[in-house]
Amino acid sequence: MTSDPMNNPNPQSPKQQEDEFFSGYSRWPKSIKSFFFKFIPLLFVGVVLFGVIVPRVHDQFNAGKFSRGEFQGLLVGEPVPHLLVPRKGKIESGSQFSRYLLSGFSKSAPPAKVTDHIGKWVQLKGTAVHRNNLTVVATGGAEPIDAPAGAPSAPEPGIPLGKFSLNGEILDGKCYPGVMKPGQGKTHRACAIRCISGGVPAVFRSHNEQGDPLYFLLADNEGKAVNKQVLDLVADPIQIEGEVTQYGDLFVIKADPSSYQRV
Amino acid sequence: MSVAYKSIQWNRTKIIYDLLLLAAIAIYLFLFTWSAQQISPDLEMLGIQIRAFGSAAFILLHVILSIGPLCRLNRKFLPLLYNRRHMGVTMFFLGLIHAIGFNLSSLPLLDKLPFKIPFKVTGALYWYHDFGDLDPIVSQFAGNTHYGSLVRFPFETLGVIGLAILFLMAITSHDFWLANLTAPIWKGLHMMVYVAYAALVGHVALGAIQTNRHPLLTVVVGLGLIWITVIHLIAALKERRGDQPIRNTAPATDNFVEIGSIYDIPNTRAKIVSVAGERVAVFKYDGKVSAISNVCQHQNGPLGEGKFIDGCITCPWHGYQYLPETGASPPPFVESVPTFNVQVRGDRIFVSTIPNPPGTQTPAAHIPPELEGQA
Repeated sequence: MTSDPMNNPNPQSPKQQEDEFFSGYSRWPKSIKSFFFKFIPLLFVGVVLFGVIVPRVHDQFNAGKFSRGEFQGLLVGEPVPHLLVPRKGKIESGSQFSRYLLSGFSKSAPPAKVTDHIGKWVQLKGTAVHRNNLTVVATGGAEPIDAPAGAPSAPEPGIPLGKFSLNGEILDGKCYPGVMKPGQGKTHRACAIRCISGGVPAVFRSHNEQGDPLYFLLADNEGKAVNKQVLDLVADPIQIEGEVTQYGDLFVIKADPSSYQRV
Repeated sequence: MSVAYKSIQWNRTKIIYDLLLLAAIAIYLFLFTWSAQQISPDLEMLGIQIRAFGSAAFILLHVILSIGPLCRLNRKFLPLLYNRRHMGVTMFFLGLIHAIGFNLSSLPLLDKLPFKIPFKVTGALYWYHDFGDLDPIVSQFAGNTHYGSLVRFPFETLGVIGLAILFLMAITSHDFWLANLTAPIWKGLHMMVYVAYAALVGHVALGAIQTNRHPLLTVVVGLGLIWITVIHLIAALKERRGDQPIRNTAPATDNFVEIGSIYDIPNTRAKIVSVAGERVAVFKYDGKVSAISNVCQHQNGPLGEGKFIDGCITCPWHGYQYLPETGASPPPFVESVPTFNVQVRGDRIFVSTIPNPPGTQTPAAHIPPELEGQA
């Protein structure tokens, strides 16, 4: 039988140690017990190290934030529903409007209670998710209102910037700004496909020469949304060659989705 | 040890083992969440939890796969093997929570409690696939079907394959299934853990690593794979050396082969020899020598690394016991292993190359009294 180290303070010879035998239902032999008194703390040091370090080797952090609020603006339908909110204060240059993309709650397009009012001034409640200069407002309905006094009567016309060939990734306009972190890349692909399929605006993220992100709304040659046509290319590295038009601080790239190339 | 199928036959070792295991997992999950929050206060916590449970399962799988080879290399690790199945089932549940989440508060009885249990975790299936225009399960398999491309390969499917194998292993982990499926089939099923490991390495490599591209993440997963491969190779090489034919011995006569001297074997211990391609454990005890199959009926543990205790050969893995002269477990237990006829001529031991059916009464060979003292 094995010796019980608690009742046997005499040190063991190497031969005795060799003859020790572990069975789960008996008392532990002394040499195995002392081995585990060292090994288990070591295991727990490993647990602590992994627990602290592993979350830091995941690129899951971005500055996207949520804020609930009430927004008043001009509702525009194409290429995707978005809200033009007059900028407050003195605007010396740039657009008179901030442009907020619209989605429904969960992975869906804004509901008819919103899109029925396209072309009108509306007030809506929702959750704004924003990252850099990309903002989406998730909302369940909109109320028509009179145009606020002093507001611009119509959005400025688009400025054609010419033909560009851009490399980047198709993202959904809701998770990427901050609903999910990260809301891009392969692990997020399935979610982005469901979002875009459900009607959340498809956004193309490219970058300038300095590496700063640039966002483009995707539209076909007629300026319509392309959601259903781009599902298979979501989250893949792709190249789009198309006509870029600037609407204030919003860029739209028009191209036939069948011409998008994986790179 | 095995006759009555209780759900779990608890003992002190198993209780301490499980408490340490659960404590380690709880500490890991807590630290993972805490550490993530230290970097950014406005993280999306559901995604963090998915990663916490997934990484916990993946790390624990490495620990589980290390136990077998470590025990082959150093017997001091055997207590880790003793309750390895609890670790395996726990790992499966961590993977399952990573995939489909966990919601205690929705259990029918618990929602009647006067207090709310806050513990709720959202799984990857719901977080990434739900709330859309397809059923999450359909989205899981229909969303990405680029099986022909490595870069676009649906890494989620590899996770499903790994989890399905772990599920089969978890539901058959009880000794009831071990006895009824028979040890070779059960062992074969549970060797599928290596297929699960391969699938899960692919799941991590083509998912988290491909997306995050953090060099340290790649290095850690790569080192894990190298570690598992290398310790298995080292353990296999050691095992192989033990299977080398016995040298400097007389050729087999009358179906008996010489396997060495009585002086080679410590008292109450065994020498493992390869006889006619089968591993045989030759035990020396009480002035006698007996030989039985080296393969324990329970989980194919190496009986020859066991010890003769209380009149029985005792397996080093889970303490299953066999009488040396019959190869049968003492009543009321029912396991039995093949025995081998043994002769002692002078100090030399000869073992029959033909096994006797399990449980056959096989007289032990007596060590000559004049040699017994020296042996």
